[in-house]
Amino acid sequence: MDNLSVKHIIGIEDLTKADIELIFKTADNFKQVINRPIKKVPSLRDITIANLFFENSTRTRLSFELAEKRLSADIVNFSAASSSVKKGETLVDTVNNILSMKVDMVVMRHPNPGAAKFLSERIGAKVINAGDGTHEHPTQALLDAYSIREKHGEDFKGKKVVIVGDILHSRVALSNIFCLQKLGAEVMVCGPTTLVPKFIGELGVKVEHNLRKALEWCDVANMLRIQLERQDMKYFPSLREYTMLFGLDKKLLNSLDKKITIMHPGPINRGVEITSDVADSDQSIILQQVENGVAIRMAVIYLLAGQIGR
Amino acid sequence: MNILLKSCTIIDPEGPFHLKVKDIYIEGETITSIEDSISLAADKVVEIPNLHVSYGWYDAKVNFQDPGNEVKENLSSGLTAAALGGMTAVSVTPMTNPTLSNKTQIEYVRKKAEYSPVEIYPYGTLTELGEGKNIAEYYDMSQSGAIGFTDGHQPVNAGIMYRALLYMKNVNSKVVSFPYDYSIFGEGQVNESKASVLTGLKSIPNIAEYLMVERDLSLTAYTESAIHFTGISTKESVDLIRDAKKNGIQVTADVYAHHLAYTDKEVLGFNSNFKVLPPLRSEKDRQALIEALKDGTIDFICSDHTPEDKENKDLEFDLAHFGMIGTQTLFATLNNVAGLDLSDKINAIAIRPRKVMKLPYATITANSRANLTIFDPKLEYSLNADDLASLSKNSPLIGKNLTGKALGVINNGIISIFED
Repeated sequence: MDNLSVKHIIGIEDLTKADIELIFKTADNFKQVINRPIKKVPSLRDITIANLFFENSTRTRLSFELAEKRLSADIVNFSAASSSVKKGETLVDTVNNILSMKVDMVVMRHPNPGAAKFLSERIGAKVINAGDGTHEHPTQALLDAYSIREKHGEDFKGKKVVIVGDILHSRVALSNIFCLQKLGAEVMVCGPTTLVPKFIGELGVKVEHNLRKALEWCDVANMLRIQLERQDMKYFPSLREYTMLFGLDKKLLNSLDKKITIMHPGPINRGVEITSDVADSDQSIILQQVENGVAIRMAVIYLLAGQIGR
Repeated sequence: MNILLKSCTIIDPEGPFHLKVKDIYIEGETITSIEDSISLAADKVVEIPNLHVSYGWYDAKVNFQDPGNEVKENLSSGLTAAALGGMTAVSVTPMTNPTLSNKTQIEYVRKKAEYSPVEIYPYGTLTELGEGKNIAEYYDMSQSGAIGFTDGHQPVNAGIMYRALLYMKNVNSKVVSFPYDYSIFGEGQVNESKASVLTGLKSIPNIAEYLMVERDLSLTAYTESAIHFTGISTKESVDLIRDAKKNGIQVTADVYAHHLAYTDKEVLGFNSNFKVLPPLRSEKDRQALIEALKDGTIDFICSDHTPEDKENKDLEFDLAHFGMIGTQTLFATLNNVAGLDLSDKINAIAIRPRKVMKLPYATITANSRANLTIFDPKLEYSLNADDLASLSKNSPLIGKNLTGKALGVINNGIISIFED
């Protein structure tokens, strides 16, 4: 198979296992490219991509931009603080503007769940979801799984991954659950009882509220960033108390009887989810995740662009 | 004007002609004759295959937006939609702008129905101006035609509810409660279930509803007053109401048609036409609602017709307003619900709501008033946006094939036949 089964990348929920494996194989090639002296290929010289960021982002936006530039695409950037899109008219108007600008592909981050799907149903261009509120963040999940594959091998069967933190408000958690399960891994979520949805078990994940027990079970721990900006009310009393219950420090890590892999989607709140010595330890693959992010995004963009009649 | 309905199947569960095929002759406002075959001359003869007739349907909760938001729906477009849906009466909610909080406003709304076959029985606000601070003038508004009192989706605190229930006993009317605790669901958008997990949308748990049902039932029992719950959507609420009825508490309840027809699976595609309040619930809840309707725990069905324009509906899901229109398609929506037979449906949209709201009702016999809906429960058709009389088109049924349709209404000497 050399083509994706989907027309847009809205969420991992829509992808097949074959799609994910195709993206990984394509990313393998691009990872070689970005480690060469000339880090660029001319594949997308005739493609224009609009990066629309309706929500603050630094690393995802940079990663997409870099991926697009490495593929030689023309790019335009648009960002707006979330406050100016509260009324909602903006997305519909944006749709019309995009239609007029005749761009080929749109990478969009947006604060509202379903916004990427909304866009894909109304414009002719390809849409890549760079995070839609608390729904999905498919490229993050792909790069996370790709990084696990790099460290632990291609066969995910029997691999145990725990996702720790604010599961309720996390698009990374949902996309990761879908992606890892499709690849055959076992997934557990761990977090404060107020931040784990009551019905998450229906997705077939294990639920744990004790960090030590979760770490003892897993091969890989993905420590999510606590995103206070996404919470409409207080779900735990203070960051201090969160750290006491769900923070990972070197002492806890060393007390486990195996060497687990530590991941974090970034940016890290050092001293909150994980301490600096854990983030910078040899068990951490946080920086590899960043590098792989560019390769994965190149792969996704390249594969979608291949569907555009040129 | 005289009208002759030829060979129609009478659906009148409490009447002598239930399920019989008869000719019906109507002179002015009165049914004068029901026979196997009538050959009198008439100004209009209605002879349609599979013609059915029942007491006029009554949509006991519609949210027309007049006064205040006439762009979405005014009383005249709303009444047309209701008539096309087979209604001979509707009850409008009071949280308009301004609110229906005194007799002048109640009379304004009532007057709009003067020349329509559809009567309007408005609700007044439960508190002055719907502000939740002091109880409103129930007696004065009742005298002008208000049939119950509610602050719509605005919850009132326990103290206000307590005084409202007590004071209502002077008036022979009803407190209508939309039972929700907003401090629990916050900015919730969809049912708390697998659907909220999969969409990432903020959730509205069942307990946000039944906690308030519990509170209001306790207050009703304590004050020995009567309460009506509107928009019951959860199994737990149904169980509480069933027990309360057994224990002699004066409680009645309604369910919105879409909660019988759909579940929270519908929101997985982020279609904002399925964003309603209460949210579409699980299959377990839906089955409990059907069961409750059959055993009388839930008294009747209404549409909660909520018109919203494109600007407020064609948006990202969590920015879109709650609600769907439905008075014109109420019957077709119910036809999708397995487990309800035709008598159940007619009971739930014509007879029981009138009994709960203390409106006139009589079985279909010679010499009774002609308040009738004629319909074909098997008629198949596809619904276009242009077919909807509502000024707003926020219906998930547009473009769908439907079964069952009202063909006309006859009430107060006004005859409206739209299909022959």
